[in-house]
Amino acid sequence: MPDIEPFSPRGMFHEGWTAEVSDYAIACGWALKGKQFIVGDVAGGIFAFEGDTGKIIWKKENTHSGGLLAMAIHPEGEIFATSGQDGNVQICSCHEGKVIKTLDLGKGWVEHLKWSNDGLFLAIATSKKVYVFNEIGEEKWISEDHPSTVSAITWANKNELATACYGRVTFFDIVNNKTNQKLEWQGSLVSMELSPDGDIVACGSQDNSVHFWRRSTGMDAEMTGYPGKPSHLSFDDSGKLLATSGSERITVWSFVGNGPEGTMPGELCHHTEPISSLAFSNKGMLVASGSRDGSVVASFLKNDGNGDPVGAAFAGDLVGAISWRPDDCALAAVNAKGVVNVWKFKVRTNLFSKGFK
Amino acid sequence: MSIKDKVPVTILTGFLGSGKTTLLNRILSEEHGKRIAVIENEYGEVGIDQGLVINADEEVFEMSNGCICCTVRGDLIRVLGNLMKRRDKFDYVLVETTGLADPGPVAQTFFMDEEISSEFTLDGIVTLVDAAHIDQQLGRSDESSEQVAFADVLVLNKTDLVSDDALDTLESRLRDMNRMTRIIRAENAKVPIETVLNLSAFDLDQILKRRPTFLEPEYPFEWTGVYDLDPGKYELMLEEGPDPEMSLVALVNQGESEEELKDGAESSVRLYAENANTLEPGNTVPYGEHVNLKLENKGNKSFILNIEKPTKIGLFTQHTAEEFNLKVIKSDENKEIPFNTERFWQAEHEHDDEVGSIAIERFGDVDPEKLNTWMGRLLSEKGVDIFRTKGFISYSGNPRRIVFQGVHMLFTAQPDKEWGNEPRRNQLVFIGRNLNEKEMQEGFDKCLI
Repeated sequence: MPDIEPFSPRGMFHEGWTAEVSDYAIACGWALKGKQFIVGDVAGGIFAFEGDTGKIIWKKENTHSGGLLAMAIHPEGEIFATSGQDGNVQICSCHEGKVIKTLDLGKGWVEHLKWSNDGLFLAIATSKKVYVFNEIGEEKWISEDHPSTVSAITWANKNELATACYGRVTFFDIVNNKTNQKLEWQGSLVSMELSPDGDIVACGSQDNSVHFWRRSTGMDAEMTGYPGKPSHLSFDDSGKLLATSGSERITVWSFVGNGPEGTMPGELCHHTEPISSLAFSNKGMLVASGSRDGSVVASFLKNDGNGDPVGAAFAGDLVGAISWRPDDCALAAVNAKGVVNVWKFKVRTNLFSKGFK
Repeated sequence: MSIKDKVPVTILTGFLGSGKTTLLNRILSEEHGKRIAVIENEYGEVGIDQGLVINADEEVFEMSNGCICCTVRGDLIRVLGNLMKRRDKFDYVLVETTGLADPGPVAQTFFMDEEISSEFTLDGIVTLVDAAHIDQQLGRSDESSEQVAFADVLVLNKTDLVSDDALDTLESRLRDMNRMTRIIRAENAKVPIETVLNLSAFDLDQILKRRPTFLEPEYPFEWTGVYDLDPGKYELMLEEGPDPEMSLVALVNQGESEEELKDGAESSVRLYAENANTLEPGNTVPYGEHVNLKLENKGNKSFILNIEKPTKIGLFTQHTAEEFNLKVIKSDENKEIPFNTERFWQAEHEHDDEVGSIAIERFGDVDPEKLNTWMGRLLSEKGVDIFRTKGFISYSGNPRRIVFQGVHMLFTAQPDKEWGNEPRRNQLVFIGRNLNEKEMQEGFDKCLI
């Protein structure tokens, strides 16, 4: 249990609704344009709630024997995919949770799922392989074995997929089945994010650093000095800021001007224990962070990466995942005890950047 | 989160065929009230009969800085990172490595990765060795000797396939390589569960509570026989053995209890430290003196023991009685007198293996600054070759003793109990490859005040 005292939502956070799932909640996301909120727990329970009220719409348990590992909601919000230790991926309907297609990928854990931005493809990572399927579950592409277990995947553009593993990031053109680019660096890459334009690749590394590459220029840089491995990375929608964290502190690198090389990053110190989830709002320079101590904070950032908190709330226990509603007017947090919290986030105007109390 | 809330993890290493899976199944099938999650790197022919088993390929991740102590096991970070979300399902973790695994990165994972170290604690490293094959394996592969070097417990398995003599020799070879380990002999991996689980081998407080010293003492003699003798003349008869001579100390009034034997052993250690008088066959053996029996001649050689009043004689011999077929014969009756009690001792040996243990024991205080400098330099220069380090130190001016341990270059030290009236002393054990004992002792001596 966290050591901090429970507190009521503060600042721009306001009471919304709470609900419970059966086990440690590890994944969540908004579907049906914010009308529905779906939560997955570690044991394989999937729960759909009404976005406004928290009323349960449907639920199902034991979807993956051995447990759930990942969940991804399609960008259109009508279907979602889940994967688990059973080596399966299920593509399901958001409306009633029904399985549309089950993909059996063998024995390995299926740890990562990512829909392409246009929703045409679902990328799936299991052990050393990456698969791409289309919306209706037809296989479109399979990678060769990577040198180690794939630790992160993300779409660079509609046909191009980036994969990270020990020692390298690889870009694949999955339509023409070719390797576009390999970025090599000896280190265990534990997380990866691309800037919205796909040019900047940022990876958190096991050796407590963040490594950047700029694909257009081939330049790379290493940001060291993190107290822990930066497992959590998030770019804002403009690609100006990258929030990173491997401890209770959030370090924000600004790509404005010539940065971030040679610049001082912004530092946000709002939590007493390490960050367990981190996400920029869908639009704008608001970053939300959830911590092992159960606290959730939203901070409004400036171009240099520094900023101030504009709201805080207490999720009750280690924050397993957070998710901004598509309109950014609510933030959801799910915790290690299976508690779901959705707080309203007061619509902000330009005035807020002048300071909010 | 305190250490009590953390899930203990036991690492099971050993070459293929050493009996890891048998031991694993034995542990899992026994009633111990624990719910054990197993991470298996080796997919043997023998299946594991239990629910929570996770297969993972070993992934050794070196860092860009090339530092060996930063090398971790990516598969464990991944699997344990997921397991920690299912804490209600298990309360113990067993990691079975492949036969070729280097235990270093496995152990380091529990110190280097914050997420893992905040939820799990390394309880101990258990290494199984196949008594029939380990001799050859040690000669052929580095992994095998590293697994021995890292072990908190060495299970000497398949003892039924090897003679007792060979086991003794093997045990002393393994002991030379790793003087901190506990050696358990087993057939078919049959060992008491409590000897391999919940060792708290990395929890220094616990270790020192149970074992006030890290070192098993080594003696300059291997054997003691206690003989109940009436007055008269006796012959100590020996045949040819492995050496042309043998050291001996004979003590009168030697008791037979363990405590009395240890007292006798202590006196003998002191006597052994003195120069030996050489005795030719036919000479009389003096009591309470270090003598060296000349055994070059062929056939039986006799030395005389004179007893004036009934007593128990303790013979502390450099080699075992068996090696020279040592007998005590009553001269006038030409009758062999059997020993009442015998006791074998852990003997000092020449260190033949590249991997070995170095122990430094010194009375007195050390200068903390000098020690830090020396230790820092030692670990940065030799950290790759130093597998494990344990010990305690007396810092001048500090009322409490400082206990420490390390894996390669990772090193932690913490204050322990107060010295009180106990004499201030220092004990360091290093296990590693090609370590220079003299140089290290001299280095440490310079830190003494």
